[in-house]
Amino acid sequence: MTLPIATRTEAQAPPAWLQPVLMLAPAAVWLALLLVIPTGLIFQLSLVPGIRPGQVVNPSGLDNYIRILQPDYFPVLTRSLFFALGTTIACLILGFPVAYWIAIKVPKRWQNLVLLSFVLPLWTSSLLRSYAWITILRPTGVLNTLLGKVGIPALDILNREPAVLIGMTYSLLPYMVLILYASLEKLDRRLLEAAADLGATPRQAFWRVTVPQSLTGIAAGALLVFITSMGDFINPEILGGASSMTVARLIYNQFLGATQNWGFGSALSMVLILVVSLAIALLLKYGDRNAAGGV
Amino acid sequence: MDVSSARSLTRRQIMQACLAIGTGLMLPGCGWTLAEVRPALSKGNKDELSIYTWESYIDPELTETFHTQTGINVTADIYDSNETMLATFQSGKGAIYSVIYPSDYKVAEMIERKLLSVLDHSRINGIDNLMPEFQDSVYDPGNQHSMPISWGTTGLIYNTEALNPGPEDWEDLWRMQAKLNRKMTLLADFREVMGATLKSLGFSYNSTNPSEVRQAYQKLVQLKPAITTFTTDAWRDRLLAGDLILAMAYSADAVRLIQENPDANLRYVIPASGTSLWSDAMVIPVTSPNPDAAYEWINFMMQPSVAVEVTRRLFFATPNQAAYDQLPLPLRNNRSLFPPEAVIQACERIIPLEPKETEMYEQYWTKLTSG
Repeated sequence: MTLPIATRTEAQAPPAWLQPVLMLAPAAVWLALLLVIPTGLIFQLSLVPGIRPGQVVNPSGLDNYIRILQPDYFPVLTRSLFFALGTTIACLILGFPVAYWIAIKVPKRWQNLVLLSFVLPLWTSSLLRSYAWITILRPTGVLNTLLGKVGIPALDILNREPAVLIGMTYSLLPYMVLILYASLEKLDRRLLEAAADLGATPRQAFWRVTVPQSLTGIAAGALLVFITSMGDFINPEILGGASSMTVARLIYNQFLGATQNWGFGSALSMVLILVVSLAIALLLKYGDRNAAGGV
Repeated sequence: MDVSSARSLTRRQIMQACLAIGTGLMLPGCGWTLAEVRPALSKGNKDELSIYTWESYIDPELTETFHTQTGINVTADIYDSNETMLATFQSGKGAIYSVIYPSDYKVAEMIERKLLSVLDHSRINGIDNLMPEFQDSVYDPGNQHSMPISWGTTGLIYNTEALNPGPEDWEDLWRMQAKLNRKMTLLADFREVMGATLKSLGFSYNSTNPSEVRQAYQKLVQLKPAITTFTTDAWRDRLLAGDLILAMAYSADAVRLIQENPDANLRYVIPASGTSLWSDAMVIPVTSPNPDAAYEWINFMMQPSVAVEVTRRLFFATPNQAAYDQLPLPLRNNRSLFPPEAVIQACERIIPLEPKETEMYEQYWTKLTSG
């Protein structure tokens, strides 16, 4: 009689160290199935030169990675970096005042509403937003009609770099604002009062007190925007011109384009994953974890 | 201290176990076949037909007429390039489709990969109605795996007010470069763009000679400042609005835009030195869940009356002689839709290249679009 009960209690109470493991198991399985194994498969594919669908996967070497080092692909990588850095800087310059305004100037009860209105564009399809920019930026579009009315010569920016930067900045600005807001909201305002009492001008107080306190948020926001824009495929494709090949588009061509070279595409993906992982590692080391977690 | 060290030890052990399982999963993975298409586990409902086709090849009227005739419900998925179609098909979604519409060279590739079933011609009515040149095909001898449904050319659509006289050949693009400055688009397809340039140099659309392909690349570099972008379909609105004055386009798209906007001063021209001749065909994949319904659909589309309707409504050129004879005169005499024999003679079909050759084209394309 006592024996089964004893086994049951034993089954009910696993060793203390096992409990967190059991609770984490579903997430671990999820991660393993949807992240670890797929990344492993991409890595395996990247070791097969010129593999196309329907062929047997037989890893044989680093040829695909050596091909990436060819000078032909250098401009592609630099263009991706240029778009990503440009977008990050633009988002920071445009996003900081907005986040500052919402966190410091807007009354508490309105803050959520204002934030929501900023995030609202994210509810529409990113493809649709890019197409909207075509309507605005094209030579006879909305922007040039308005410019013409006030007597400013028309701008020919669609299918050029500025159009891509505008599209990407527009897509990613809400993320930047959200993260900066989370960081600025925690700003200790007593320090600003103290700075003013001690004779600092508002400008001095801003650079010496506000910016250093929100530095972690700035780092988090900048890295998140940088990472996302590195992988952006839609804006360069739709708003870019005849010279707008980026890493993301090159990868797309390898998988869904005529080339069908999944091996080279996988190697390019691994390089992109590496760049992004480095950025994330930096984010975790130096960034504001709470701000990053808030998104 | 004690507890934490004991725990970290166990954690390490668990990590090791996970790693072992992970590599265990990886190792038998060696030698697997990439994107192998497997048949659907369950046979499809016999009243359901899934087809995978081009956007301009299907509309609700067509599927409703088919439903009234046969009682079969059609669901259609849309693709915008042969490559997207094949990638989607092979990524595992392929098993739901019973009819697909690949283009000529893709039919050849799919036959080579053993993805297409051999058609039972005794179950298809009206094969005799096809025009003589479509009774047989270079990409699928004897039409064993495919039934031609539409054909056309690649050419130039332009605004006749902005360009007068307009271009008559590929070479004119370079001659008119100053006028076309950032007001023209080319297709987002390197075979078509490189092929057209090769043709302008007097070479074959399908050249694989490295020196000829390099010359074509160099010639394209000269034209590049005038090219707004490479796009297959984002030129329509902008051509109508006047932002563009010329676009490289497929005849079916161009003719449709011209027919729908008769006042827009647009003209489609087939370059005189020749261009690519394409055709799309209906095929039944080996994985088809409902081949019976697929035959019903092919028979339906082969009916002359249906082919006439489709040509009138969707503006694609039918290869069906019986349907052609019943078309209204203006459509039948539309030289853009049905070019004269002499023009067709100068055209070439795009043929699939070896992976090495495709890679050569792709490298030039990457250089062109990133330079």
